[in-house]
Amino acid sequence: MVFPIGCLNPQAPSIMASRGGGRGCGRGQLTFNVEAVGIGKGDALPPPTLQPSPLFPPLEFRPVPLPSGEEGEYVLALKQELRGAMRQLPYFIRPAVPKRDVERYSDKYQMSGPIDNAIDWNPDWRRLPRELKIRVRKLQKERTTIILPKRPPKTTEDKEETIQKLETLEKKEEEVTSEEDEEKEEEEEKEEEEEEEYDEEEHEEETDYIMSYFDNGEDFGGDSDDNMDEAIY
Amino acid sequence: MTQAEIKLCSLLLQEHFGEIVEKIGVHLIRTGSQPLRVIAHDTGTSLDQVKKALCVLIQHNLVIYQVHKRGVVEYEAQCNRVLRMLRYPRYIYTAKTLYSDTGELIVEELLLNGKMTMSAVVKKVADRLTETMEDGKTMDYAEVSNTFVRLVDTHFVQRCPLVPATENSDTGPPPPAPTLVINEKDRYLVPKLSLIGKGKRRRSSDEDATGEPKAKRPKQSTDNKEPIPDDGIYWQANLDRFHQHFRDQAIVSAVANRMDQTSSEIVRTMLRMSEVTTPSGAPFTQPLSSNEIFRSLPVGYNISKQVLDQYLTLLADDPLEFVGKSGDSGGGMYVINLHKALGSLATATLESVVQERFGSRCARIFRLVLQKKHLEQKQVEDFAMIPAKEAKDMLYKMLSENFISLQEIPKTPDHAPSRTFYLYTVNILSAARMLLHRCYKSVANLIERRQFETKENKRLLEKSQRVEAIIASMQATGAEEAQLQEIEEMITAPERQQLETLKRNVNKLDACEIQVDETIFLLESYIESTMKRQ
Repeated sequence: MVFPIGCLNPQAPSIMASRGGGRGCGRGQLTFNVEAVGIGKGDALPPPTLQPSPLFPPLEFRPVPLPSGEEGEYVLALKQELRGAMRQLPYFIRPAVPKRDVERYSDKYQMSGPIDNAIDWNPDWRRLPRELKIRVRKLQKERTTIILPKRPPKTTEDKEETIQKLETLEKKEEEVTSEEDEEKEEEEEKEEEEEEEYDEEEHEEETDYIMSYFDNGEDFGGDSDDNMDEAIY
Repeated sequence: MTQAEIKLCSLLLQEHFGEIVEKIGVHLIRTGSQPLRVIAHDTGTSLDQVKKALCVLIQHNLVIYQVHKRGVVEYEAQCNRVLRMLRYPRYIYTAKTLYSDTGELIVEELLLNGKMTMSAVVKKVADRLTETMEDGKTMDYAEVSNTFVRLVDTHFVQRCPLVPATENSDTGPPPPAPTLVINEKDRYLVPKLSLIGKGKRRRSSDEDATGEPKAKRPKQSTDNKEPIPDDGIYWQANLDRFHQHFRDQAIVSAVANRMDQTSSEIVRTMLRMSEVTTPSGAPFTQPLSSNEIFRSLPVGYNISKQVLDQYLTLLADDPLEFVGKSGDSGGGMYVINLHKALGSLATATLESVVQERFGSRCARIFRLVLQKKHLEQKQVEDFAMIPAKEAKDMLYKMLSENFISLQEIPKTPDHAPSRTFYLYTVNILSAARMLLHRCYKSVANLIERRQFETKENKRLLEKSQRVEAIIASMQATGAEEAQLQEIEEMITAPERQQLETLKRNVNKLDACEIQVDETIFLLESYIESTMKRQ
């Protein structure tokens, strides 16, 4: 049992009276005999604190050095690696890139960032509440396995035909994902807005330009140019 | 949840999952159980983003859901589980020491992904191991499967609760959320899978490591449509088992420090024998007879039976009471007092903190009060042999930091202060809680400082990364030494110095976090064990 220091006792009016009477005479009277705690008569008490304690109080004792050794280094490297790895996983959710004012032609070919209405990994929907279901954006890797075998014969075929084929495949894939989804009316709109991630090489069948052609220079100048040793032409 | 814990959770979530998940997670920790729409409304985030965040949090076992009446699903965050994220490197390293690289990667994949099916884990780990092997060699699925089974057998990996298998739900609409169930007997049951295959390298060159023809690759898209044999059976890392392992390690090393190597080996053997028979929260292990211990000692140890008995007697008589004697049958029945051991470890931590913060004389007073339980001011001065003024000063310093507390014992019923004893005492449980709270605050400060340091030097870091990328690509295309020199000089000497300093600081801060986490583990284990006994 611990009783708080100085708890007021309603059965002892005499103490309270003496406290009231003792106000102003003698050094701050307290309800208990200070000698019991060790402050003798006439001892100088430390000055009262008039401000909050400093943010970085001076260290009286230096801390013990950290343990070093193989195990420590390995765990340290693991920790830093884990941190980096988790940022790359699809579980790291970034806010969607805000829409720009005007829709641009290069949007179709630029690397798209995260979008709000889809996630990049495929959870087991049977284990989750139905209300959490959201569209799963299939990443580009899955498309390459379908496209690649078509490449060798393609050089002789008509380009239009291949584009048609690819578009039907794309629609089929989207249909598969949409069948897995719940009924969403905005499905049509979403398909138009859908920004699949394209790799530079894979896009050769759609355009003749490399991806940096579509770089509209909005990112240029974002990096600071001071203290650069070499000039940029 | 204290403010310090919430702050730490917030930093951990933000570092590992991003700001959106952090906002949702912290909101749930603060407010408790809430449905989806309320979360979206209170945090001001769009419904889509909340859904994404909840999917991630549930996948990683950080949030659970419950169906309430009228079909409302409420989500609740597990603050303690979020704090475990600090300990992930330690879990992975433990798996490495016990089951080498394969085990390490299995546990790493399970921790990074929350939960996975066995086939997915085996495939991924085989691929990763193949990447690190020399050209032409691959990792066989069977070997990875074996390690996985061993991890399950020793309970380091366990099954997640399953979706109950329902026949078609003619009885009305399906529930808004499945109620997951797990049969304790099936927790560690590995399904019979025949996983045949080898790891694949990521390089999509024509000559695959396995020499498969190119025509095989279009089949991969159809492979996804085949039913996976262990569909629906997910596995997760069993953190409690890891904690048990850490606790055993701590006890063994404490015994080794206090006595000698042989006694620590004996204690290790006893703990190993009790691994599966003793539940994790028990205050002491099942009694083991001296004969059993003798038979189970590791093969290399040839100590005679008498020597073993002497060691056991010595251990049982030790004032720290790690080992206790519970009977005389079978050559002497011995138990390990887990709760007392944790208490001793927590007390040692407190003593060490007092010593490092206040000096060795304070530590002497602290140990004195611990030993004598209750002491008056005068008695402290006498027993500790420290002059009154200094003793007073030290006591008040420790009192103000709540390592020591004051106990009033009234002589008269009216609690008159002049007629009351004031005794100094150490309440280990409350001091441990106070120290734990400080630890959480420390880790939060360390993470913040590390993020601050990284942000300050962000520009420099990006520049050095770019330069490294350029050098790497130039080396790949075969460049001359002179060109590489030129590129390297893009980073000036003072900048290099700055980078070195930054790296050193970040490493130091990271190492501090790991160190504080060890203390957190000890204190948490002690507090948990004490609460279970009440």
